[in-house]
Amino acid sequence: MQPLLELRKVTKEFPGVRALDSVDLHVDRREVVGLIGENGAGKSTLVKILAGIHRIDSGSMLFDGSPASFRSPRDAFNHGLTMVFQEQSIIPTLTVAENIFLGREQEFLRFGVIDKRAMNAAAEVELAKVHLDCNPATKCASLDFAARQMVEIAKALSLDGRIDSDIVILLDEPTSVLERQEIDLLFEIIKELKAKASIIFISHRLDEVLQVSDRVYVLRDGAVVHETASTEATITGLHEHMVGRQLDHEYYRENKQRELFGESVLSVRNLTIEGEFRNLSFDLAEGQILGIAGVVGSGRESFARCLGGLLPPSNGEILVDGKPVRLNQPHQAVLAGFGFVPSERKSEGIVTGLSVSENMTLAAGDRFSRFGFIKFEQERTECQRWIDRLRIRTPSTKTPMQSLSGGNQQKVVLSKWQIFGSKVAVLDHPTRGIDVGAKEDVYELIREMADQGVAIILLGDTLEEVIGLSNSILVLKDGEVSAKFQAPVGAKPDQIELISKMV
Amino acid sequence: MESINWRALAPIGVFFLLCIVIAIFSPNFLSVSNAVRILNASAIPVVLVMGATFVILMGSIDLSVEGIVALCAVVTASLVLNDTFSANLGFWAIPFAVLAGGIIGAANGATHVFLKVPSFMVTLGIGFVCLGIATAALGGFPVRISDRGFRALTLGRTLGLPNGIWLAAAAVFVAYVIQERTRLGRYVYAIGTDEITARQSGVPVERTRILVFVLAGFFSGLAGVMAAAQLGQGHALIASGRLFTTITAVVVGGTALSGGVGSVLNSVVGVLIVIVLTNGMVLMGVPPFVQQGVQGFLIIVAVTLALDRRQLLVVK
Amino acid sequence: MGKLAHDSVLLAAAAALSSGIYTASFADDMTLAISMRSLSNPYHATFARGGEEFAKSVGLPFEVLVTEGNSEKGLADIRALIARTGGNVCINVDPNDSPDAATIVEEAEGAGAYVVTQWNKPDDLHPWDHNPNYVAHMSFSGVGTSKEITNALIDAMGGEGGIVAIGGILSNVPAIERKLGMEQAVADTDGKVQILDFQPADWNETKAFEIMQAWLTRYGDEIKGVWAANDSMGIGALEALRQEGKAGSVPVTGIDGTEAALSAIEAGEMAGTVAWDPMWTGGMGLSLCHAAATGAIDVAAEPHEHREFYGTGIVVTPANIADFRTRDASFDYNDYWAKSTGQIQYQ
Repeated sequence: MQPLLELRKVTKEFPGVRALDSVDLHVDRREVVGLIGENGAGKSTLVKILAGIHRIDSGSMLFDGSPASFRSPRDAFNHGLTMVFQEQSIIPTLTVAENIFLGREQEFLRFGVIDKRAMNAAAEVELAKVHLDCNPATKCASLDFAARQMVEIAKALSLDGRIDSDIVILLDEPTSVLERQEIDLLFEIIKELKAKASIIFISHRLDEVLQVSDRVYVLRDGAVVHETASTEATITGLHEHMVGRQLDHEYYRENKQRELFGESVLSVRNLTIEGEFRNLSFDLAEGQILGIAGVVGSGRESFARCLGGLLPPSNGEILVDGKPVRLNQPHQAVLAGFGFVPSERKSEGIVTGLSVSENMTLAAGDRFSRFGFIKFEQERTECQRWIDRLRIRTPSTKTPMQSLSGGNQQKVVLSKWQIFGSKVAVLDHPTRGIDVGAKEDVYELIREMADQGVAIILLGDTLEEVIGLSNSILVLKDGEVSAKFQAPVGAKPDQIELISKMV
Repeated sequence: MESINWRALAPIGVFFLLCIVIAIFSPNFLSVSNAVRILNASAIPVVLVMGATFVILMGSIDLSVEGIVALCAVVTASLVLNDTFSANLGFWAIPFAVLAGGIIGAANGATHVFLKVPSFMVTLGIGFVCLGIATAALGGFPVRISDRGFRALTLGRTLGLPNGIWLAAAAVFVAYVIQERTRLGRYVYAIGTDEITARQSGVPVERTRILVFVLAGFFSGLAGVMAAAQLGQGHALIASGRLFTTITAVVVGGTALSGGVGSVLNSVVGVLIVIVLTNGMVLMGVPPFVQQGVQGFLIIVAVTLALDRRQLLVVK
Repeated sequence: MGKLAHDSVLLAAAAALSSGIYTASFADDMTLAISMRSLSNPYHATFARGGEEFAKSVGLPFEVLVTEGNSEKGLADIRALIARTGGNVCINVDPNDSPDAATIVEEAEGAGAYVVTQWNKPDDLHPWDHNPNYVAHMSFSGVGTSKEITNALIDAMGGEGGIVAIGGILSNVPAIERKLGMEQAVADTDGKVQILDFQPADWNETKAFEIMQAWLTRYGDEIKGVWAANDSMGIGALEALRQEGKAGSVPVTGIDGTEAALSAIEAGEMAGTVAWDPMWTGGMGLSLCHAAATGAIDVAAEPHEHREFYGTGIVVTPANIADFRTRDASFDYNDYWAKSTGQIQYQ
């Protein structure tokens, strides 16, 4: 049978770099194809070619058997190739229905006026496909992140039945911002979708890729290095193909986990934010890693943002080195010794326009200036030291932040607080959306920080990560602590135990 | 492997192109005396854009320029030997006038930050308040400066160039050092590019915003002193038309109104473009009825060349 | 009694408003008012002072309304004033724009208020068509005075050579008239004087400064005289000359008679200006209005030249500046037409 989408010997070069090297890839009708690879392996270039953002240098792309070259994401969409990106394309000020049919209002025009009732009714049909129970007339701003993701998928699905050709849905990291239940729901939906569409599934989570795909492609250095049926693949095997080497030491660096800690640094007493979480109390010592587990809405995100000075507490006390601190403003949190690494790296973690070194020393302005004048040489030396130490891939300290990959950006954010000398690092999903190699570097850094006496609060990207890294774990449920686990090496709690306390 | 950003040089290209075209039609344009005249006419706008650039880099806007300049010109004229008030501070009037500008700037910044009113409205309002004070204090009449020595501030020459040009050069130097070498300068870029992250990193956003408005106030105050010295008087309307030149020059120079991108040096080039345009239009004998149209058209061309539109997905 | 009377008017007006009843007569407690563009220029500031002096002389409450260049605001303020006083008001108004005059007259007629207009009105709006409430329109002959001051400039140049001319906002009536007068005077020299260039500087001294600089580059010593449509622009040009050490060597004229220009004439740096005497337009306009309202004159019986007339613009030059400074500027409020220079002519 003729594949629905086929790439033949596709090559794409950028100055100094061959991003794609003679890539052969095909997607059959009603098939789920997994696509994995480290950042820089060529996944995003491939996606951009499919979306019509980049043109191929040589090779060809066939869609439904005929040569295709899309001019823009919208053009690709109109031909039946639709994408759901990690950075959502939902406009918060429009309603759910308006977002789903944005740019395609033609269908609902009655004498030049949009028939909102018809549009909302049509949106209901699409929302049912993703099992999202919400009024299509609500503004997307009032939806939570996961729901918006579902709207995004509903938007992609709305093509089904509206064009002649079969459709391909490309899901780029759709699970990285979703919680377990939502992921399960998404996978259910994908199974249903298979009856109508082909799917390309891109994810960092190899287990998910294996669970949901029929076939998997592994990209490395711009080339397809491995293609396999999911039933025949293992996570370890895929991982080895991705990184091109064997896992040479334990993933979460458990051998480096500290079991003895220094002085108590942080004491939290009855901390409460109305409507978010209540009566949170714990102590944290130098070098200790405290994992916080909980589903979305358990209050753990608000708790992290509270320590970052972004959500003022309504009640309770926070003591650093025994002294009470006020956290009503981010800079108060910084001065109190908290280094907050936000989950929204692009919008909250880095200043894209500034250079690597400027980002690194943004918090520690005092140390690198005298009478307000910047001490450039000292700044450069210090930043270079961190670049070498964290293996941050950047041509120089002056490189603009936006030209770094996600993993390297995250390392810069982490080094910013190390340079400042934060006593407590609050890591909100520090490995979200970064590739395996960079993840390992981040784990390594977290262990090093603990060794240096930094107390760490960790909201993990996966439960496995929280368990692997933490010394102890607080489980939050509906804003209250439902359980507390110790997690020493060799006696880590298992995921089932935690999940039972989470839901 | 740092490459030259050609976009950043576009305003300079526009400037030279403009000079060449004018020189073809009017060879006098290239004379030394005309160059001095252009620099002299640029002096006050250059001082003004120094402050305005920082404000715009931060993603805000300062519309109080005309008000502050007028009020500071009135303060200057009232404190030196004049025909209305009995004061004779001579050059000591300068710190008072510049300080007055700084205080108004602080009022701009504090209102903007603490009451969370957009800078557009705050500075528009404070600008009107300044004009109102200047009008009420003098009842609509100008204060005329009788101190000849004081007027040497702009009329006198040093090394063959009018002193006003030297003052403007000093202002550019100070602004450039602030931009490149100080934390304040770096914070301005950080806030203008991404305020949320800057805030999370502990950058004192509120303090920086206020400081930048104070800085802009100082520059406006200095411009007020220079305007008073140049025209020999201070009155409420002395700065009319300056706001348009200032904002235009900053934008033509390639500083983005959305903040984060640009430089005080770009703005100097922006001022030169605007002033040369006015000068050249008269030199080439462009009919008055056509001038405004040509000016508007060329400004759009200059801005178009200076902006890197590939990076702008959304233009507001 | 002024203060007391004023308060009682306000109280009465407030009472009338709150009960929804308008009373047309308030006996002697008439309000006098002046409406104009702005207090931030000397001409209008003096215009307002002239009105205030008259109000003091008759002991009546006085108000100043400022349009800030906004016709809507000007009309709204006048409407509010008429409503507040129940129409018992005399207004000497310099309308923001010509069409405003028609609306103001209409409002006044409806409420029984009295109005005198200055400078701006539509050509087909005449006081005699709106007896008795539209008392008079006063103006100055833009063309005539401009011609006179241009002649003074030409004299200062020795009767020949090139001049550069700086105009006001191209669409303003006074700017058009003044330019026309200048061109007529130059044409009368039979080519001995040429206009090298004309540029509008929008009444703005900074703009005039920059244009003058460019002219110095373009024409250099060809420039034998500088004509400016008002004093502010004249001063701007003068300061550009000063920057080059040429102040005083090239004659400059302005129009308006501001203190800055008069001092420059005394210093030998300007060759002339035209003084409008805004004390007179402000005071006499109100006096005439008050006379009509109180019945001292019957406007319907007055001839047209007493209803639309030009005031006296005095051309001040170095030759007569000393006399001008020491002249007796006072005038008799009851000698209404002593300074009239004739009925207004339409071009």
